[in-house]
Amino acid sequence: MDLYRRRRLRNTIVLALSIGATAIGLGWLALILGTLVYQGFSGLSLAVFTEMTPPPGAAGGLLNPIIGSLMLTILAVAIGTPIGILAGTYMAEYGKYAKLTVVVRFINDILLSAPSIVVGLFVYEILVAPIGHFSGWAGAVALALIVIPVVVRTTEDMLLLVPKELRESATSLGLPRAHVVRYVSYRAARAGMITGVLLAIARISGETAPLLFTALNNQFFSTDLNAPISSLPAVIFQFALSPYADWQKLAWIGALIITFAVLALSITARALAASGKSS
Amino acid sequence: MSSAARISGVTQPPVPTSADRPSGTAGKPAEKILIRNLDFYYGDNKALKAVNVPLYDRRVTAFIGPSGCGKSTLLRILNRIYDLYPHQRAEGEVLLDGRNILDSGQDLNLLRARIGMVFQKPTPFPMSIYENIAFGVRLFEKLPRAEIDARVQSALRRAAIWDEVKDKLQANGLSLSGGQQQRLCIARTVALKPEVILLDEPCSALDPISTAKIEELIDELKDDYTIAIVTHNMQQAARVSDYTAFMYLGELVEFGTTSRMFTTPGDRRTQDYITGRFG
Amino acid sequence: MVDLALPSSGDAVASGASRGRILARLRLSDAVFRHFTRASAVLVLVILSGVIIALVEGALPALRAFGFDFLIEERWNPVTEKFGALAPIYGTLVTSFIAMLIAVPLGLLIALFLTELCPMWLRRPIGVAIELLAGIPSIIYGIWGLFVFAPFLQRNLQPVLIDWFDNVPILSTLFEGPPYGIGILTASLILAVMVLPFVTSISRDVFEAVPPVLKEAAYGVGCTTWEVVWNIVLPYARVGVIGGIMLGLGRALGETMAVTFVIGNAHKVSASILAPGTTISATIANEFTEAVGDLYTSSLIALGLILFVITFIVLAAARYLLMRLEKRVG
Repeated sequence: MDLYRRRRLRNTIVLALSIGATAIGLGWLALILGTLVYQGFSGLSLAVFTEMTPPPGAAGGLLNPIIGSLMLTILAVAIGTPIGILAGTYMAEYGKYAKLTVVVRFINDILLSAPSIVVGLFVYEILVAPIGHFSGWAGAVALALIVIPVVVRTTEDMLLLVPKELRESATSLGLPRAHVVRYVSYRAARAGMITGVLLAIARISGETAPLLFTALNNQFFSTDLNAPISSLPAVIFQFALSPYADWQKLAWIGALIITFAVLALSITARALAASGKSS
Repeated sequence: MSSAARISGVTQPPVPTSADRPSGTAGKPAEKILIRNLDFYYGDNKALKAVNVPLYDRRVTAFIGPSGCGKSTLLRILNRIYDLYPHQRAEGEVLLDGRNILDSGQDLNLLRARIGMVFQKPTPFPMSIYENIAFGVRLFEKLPRAEIDARVQSALRRAAIWDEVKDKLQANGLSLSGGQQQRLCIARTVALKPEVILLDEPCSALDPISTAKIEELIDELKDDYTIAIVTHNMQQAARVSDYTAFMYLGELVEFGTTSRMFTTPGDRRTQDYITGRFG
Repeated sequence: MVDLALPSSGDAVASGASRGRILARLRLSDAVFRHFTRASAVLVLVILSGVIIALVEGALPALRAFGFDFLIEERWNPVTEKFGALAPIYGTLVTSFIAMLIAVPLGLLIALFLTELCPMWLRRPIGVAIELLAGIPSIIYGIWGLFVFAPFLQRNLQPVLIDWFDNVPILSTLFEGPPYGIGILTASLILAVMVLPFVTSISRDVFEAVPPVLKEAAYGVGCTTWEVVWNIVLPYARVGVIGGIMLGLGRALGETMAVTFVIGNAHKVSASILAPGTTISATIANEFTEAVGDLYTSSLIALGLILFVITFIVLAAARYLLMRLEKRVG
């Protein structure tokens, strides 16, 4: 085969492989989502949302883990978002040229991808071991520690996108720095910052490891944050690894609920980001 | 004209012959701003060298020169907007009504409320048209709603844009055309009752019709405000200004009344620039 | 109509004074806000230091008891309180390695497809789909792996692999043993699917950043698409791609839930990748709440410390590379 034909052949093979790779990637997605819907959907019923988790062999629902997850998520966002926004604001506005910012950005990106189980261990050491028992507060703090790096990153990125002429215009009116930041920069970056919060929520919705030794799990319906509290990921973990068929079924249903929530949040975040860019 | 006077850039201009204007001492208008021996550095790079030039009260002074000559840099010193960035510093004196604004004790926000600035790129805040104006007013004065409405209307009238926006004051500032946005920015600046208005190439991003409207506006505004305008369009400088300063490579080469500068410039470089020999 | 003309000099002084007062008041709230932002930024550093300190403190009993041997000891016996981290470390490294072996070529090929071959209207949907893969929580991968993938492997793939390599000298030990379904290979495959979107997204972004004029020049002399990619795009994008790979590796090393379900939880180092094993995060996840005794708990925290150190090094290197890339480009 002459040189030219060999080159053509190599090209065709690689391109075919790339199509194959894409098919594999998309295929995985379809496979996983398909199984999830198939297994989880068939068990969906109103009871899932209104009944407590049952002992093996009995019928029940996922009420306590759903409520528990909601509480933990809201708390984690309430704790983590302000800290994340303030830190991102420092990095983009006040401390833009400071050395501290370079260091924080580096550290933050590492925390962003750090294993979440390590976060769980950390919170165990500071909030569970000294106090003597597991608690919802500890779980919320663990999740907040995962929220913070996400929000810091998106806040800084979005604020840096605000054109410097806009800031200069506001400053040249005599507005103090905090006013410029709060009324001009934040407003201009609002869509992006909200996207960041939504992405953080999507991220912690499925996180199990940090909860395993902080909030633990609770078989009964409880909203007491000072005690172990149930959450969807923890329940899925427990039920899926059990040998009981009805528990495994509930695990699938829980997985479907989480995936649906995460996908809905991601799509909303994406739509917000797109609309923010077009305005 | 002595060469010494020419080189230092300060000349004694005769009183302009166009419509009567209030002047300080007989035959010469008062100096609102006097720039004395001004040097400016970007890091180690000296961008302005020993600049001496007056800005006369309620006159329009134009700064012309080829790209990179330092005219925008000079303008940005007058309201100390360069203070936002590290590695930029000014040495020398800039006297506003006799007081040096480069002094470290100078209140920057107060200064910027007295000296307004309009930028090359129109920068409406991400708020409604009404809010764009009211926002700055509210910061400095506690006024009842009716009075703020009146101030907003007054500012928009002054900027010759009231008729075009009076029915859509709640619309977002970004929904206006480029020329309208720029006039909105002018209205915003005027609403704070400044004494000096700095215009940094205000028309370079606009179409000819909007440009003409804004040049008309400048002609009206100079009844009440001291105006400094940077422009790379010599014909515009000739049209709107009373005095012109020609800058080249960071130095003030020549300063005088516009009519004299454009008909019988003293310095060879001024003549070359004006006749288009370089630029 | 309200007068916006210049006030007379007396008024100017008065309004200046009142403005001065208002600004002085605002200066305080401005300073407070600034300090809060700075404190929050410092908090990020404090969190990292806190994590390191807490881990070291918790791991100290175990490290003192076992010393350096902790890293090379395979035995993990809660009864006799003899703990060794060899099996978890081995499992973590091997599963991540195999996962990257699969995910990197696949990811690069998908990125190639998306940037060179894919029709315009398909690009965004497929890109979004790949990113959705990244968004699926790892516990979902876990239960899918346990209930669907592992049985499938056990019935179909693993017997085939065992047969194929039965007589091949070295590979037979790699692929020997009863087909459990769960084990190191299964965990690696699931990890590969999880890491794939990261490698793909970053590679695609870096490929897209290659200036078109460079590619056009190559096409202009008659290069095939593959030759353009191999000779122009990849070298230009090299730093970014490596950064993306390392980020993916960092994720694979720390992944817990997806692996815990299917790794088999055996504290053994086996030559065969079809055998069950364990990873650091899987060990911690499975045993922490039942750990009785300070040495047991401390050993688990020591494992966490080791994992943190490994991922920190990988992530720091990735960040450093990506920082160099950003500096070069813009």
